[in-house]
Amino acid sequence: MRRGGGALANGWRRAFLGLVLLGVLGLFLFPVFWLTLTSLRPESEVFYVHRGTHLTLANFRKAWAAPKIQESFVNSAVLATLATVFSLQVTVMSGYMLSRFKGAANKVWFTAIYLFRTVPYITWVMPLYLLTQSLGLFDTYLGLLLPHVAVHVCFFSWVMKGFFDGVEPELEQAAYLDGCSHWGAFLRIILPQARPGIVALGILCWLFTWNEFLFALILTGSRTPLLTVTMAQFVHELGVEWHLMSATAVTAMIPALVVTLFAQRYVVSGLRL
Amino acid sequence: MPGRAHVETLGGGGPSRGEAAASLFRERRRFVATLVAPAALILLVFQVVPILMGVDASLRRFSLTDEEHPFVGFRNFARILSDGQFLGVVLPNTFGFMIASVTGGVVLGLAIAMLLNRPFPGRIVVRTLIVFPLMVAPVVASIMIAWIFNDQFGIANVIVTALGFPPVAWLVKPWLGLGIVVLTDIWLQTPFYVLIILAALETLPREPFEAARVDGANAWQVFRNVTLPLLRPVLLVAIVIRSIDAFRVFDTVWTITKGEPGRATEVFSIYAYKEAFVFLNLDRGAAAALVGAAIIMVVGVVLYWGLRRVTEVSR
Repeated sequence: MRRGGGALANGWRRAFLGLVLLGVLGLFLFPVFWLTLTSLRPESEVFYVHRGTHLTLANFRKAWAAPKIQESFVNSAVLATLATVFSLQVTVMSGYMLSRFKGAANKVWFTAIYLFRTVPYITWVMPLYLLTQSLGLFDTYLGLLLPHVAVHVCFFSWVMKGFFDGVEPELEQAAYLDGCSHWGAFLRIILPQARPGIVALGILCWLFTWNEFLFALILTGSRTPLLTVTMAQFVHELGVEWHLMSATAVTAMIPALVVTLFAQRYVVSGLRL
Repeated sequence: MPGRAHVETLGGGGPSRGEAAASLFRERRRFVATLVAPAALILLVFQVVPILMGVDASLRRFSLTDEEHPFVGFRNFARILSDGQFLGVVLPNTFGFMIASVTGGVVLGLAIAMLLNRPFPGRIVVRTLIVFPLMVAPVVASIMIAWIFNDQFGIANVIVTALGFPPVAWLVKPWLGLGIVVLTDIWLQTPFYVLIILAALETLPREPFEAARVDGANAWQVFRNVTLPLLRPVLLVAIVIRSIDAFRVFDTVWTITKGEPGRATEVFSIYAYKEAFVFLNLDRGAAAALVGAAIIMVVGVVLYWGLRRVTEVSR
C-alpha cells in the first residue's frame, strides 16, 4: 500500500466498509422489521404498510384471543419443554459415554449416530406416521415427544461429547481414587463441570423443537395443533388475514429474540458444530 | 452388587485382586451400557424401526386407503426412477437449490465474517444481531419473505412499480419462486457460516499474515493466498454439512411455494411427502424417500472426497 495519502485513503476505505456492513445488516434485519411493522398496522391498512403511520396492538390482542392460536402456543411450549428435559437426559448420558469410554461399543455407537444423522427426515417421518398410529400415539403429546427426542439424539450426543471432551479426565480419576462409583463421579463431579454446555444445549433444544415443522406437520392432527403448522396453514387457508398472520409470527419469534439478545454467549458453542 | 462383594469378604478373607478387577470391569461395563441404553433405544424405536417400515412399505402396494398390502418387489422404485417429474423436475430443483443456497451462504458468510473480523465501534452489537436468523423458525422466515414478495401487497412490488416497472408475479414463475426460497434459506443459514468462519479466524496462526505483509501483499492477495487456504478445512466441513441439510429442505419450500405452480418447484422432500400424503401412495412416497436418502449419502461422500482433493491440489 502507498504511504503518501494513506491516512486519507484509509479513512475512505473504513467509511466504505462501514457503509457496506450497515447495508448488509440492514438487509438481514429488514424482513424482521417489515413483518413487525405489518403486525402493528391496523387491520384495514395492513395491505398498505408503507402508507400511513397509524400503529396499534389490536392485531396481537385478536391473534392471542383466537382459541386455535392459543392452543398452538401452549402445545408448542409444552412440547418444547418436555422434549428439552428428555433429550438432555438421554444425550448427556450418551455424550458422556462417547467422550470417556473408548472401545468397540464406542465406535459402533459413534458410527451409528453419524450415519443416522445424514438420513433425510422425510425418510423416517413418513413411516413414523404409521408407527404412531398403530401404537395409538398419533396426535398426542407422547407421540410427538419421543420422535422429537429421536431427532435430537444423534446431533446432541455429538455436541455433548465435545463438551465433555473439554472436562479434565483427571477429575474422575481423583474421584475414583477417593472411592467414588462411576455414577457418583459422573453425577457429582463431571456434570457440574459440564453445566455451561448442558445449559447451551437445553436452550437450543427448546428453540429447535419450538421451530420444528416437518415432524409437527406429519404427526399432528386437529387435537394437538403446533405453532409452526398452524402458521403454515394460515398462509394457504386464510391467506388474506395478514394482520393476524404477522402478529402470530412475530409472537412466535420472541423466544428467538430473547436467546439472541441474552443467551447467545452460551449458545454459540453448540451452534458452531 | 455391593451386597455380594460384602458377603464374599465375610466368607473368604477378601476377594483376590483378579476378582476385584473383574467385578470393577463388570460394573464399568454395566455403567457404560446404562449410559447408552436410553439414547440407543429411542434411536432404535423411533428412527431405525421407521426406516425399516419404510423399506417394507416401499416393496409393497401400500396406499393409505388400502386394506391389503401385497408384495410387489422393486416396482415402486422402478416407477420413481422412470418418473419424468422426479428425474426432470425434482432432481434438478433439489441440486440447483442445494448449489445455489450453499454457494450463496458461503460467499456471503465469508464476506460478512471478514468485515466483522476487525475492530470497529459497535462490533459487538452487529455480531449479536447477525446471529438472529439462525434462531428463527424456517416457517416464520418463509412467511416474512413471502410477505415481502406478495404479488399484490408486498413491498418488493411497491418498489418495482415505484421504479417504473410493471409489478412482478413473483411466485408464478417457477425459477423466481425457487429463487425466493433460496433467498430465504440463505437468510436463515448465513449466520452459521459467519459463526464458524469467525471462530476459525480467531484460531489462525499470525506468522503467514505477517510474512505476506512484509512481502507487500494487498488485502485481496492476503485473503486469496493466506486466509482462504487456511480456512479451507473449516469451509469443507461446513459445505458438506450444509449441502446434506439443503438437499432435504422442506419447511421453506412448503411454506412459500408448496411445490407450485403446478409441480414446478418441487424438491425431493416435497415430492416424497406429496406422493405419500397428498396422492396417498405411501409405497411410492417411501420408495422416493429411500432413493433420496441413497442419493444424499453418495453426494455427501463424493462431496467430501472431491472437495478434499481440490483443496489439497491447490495448496
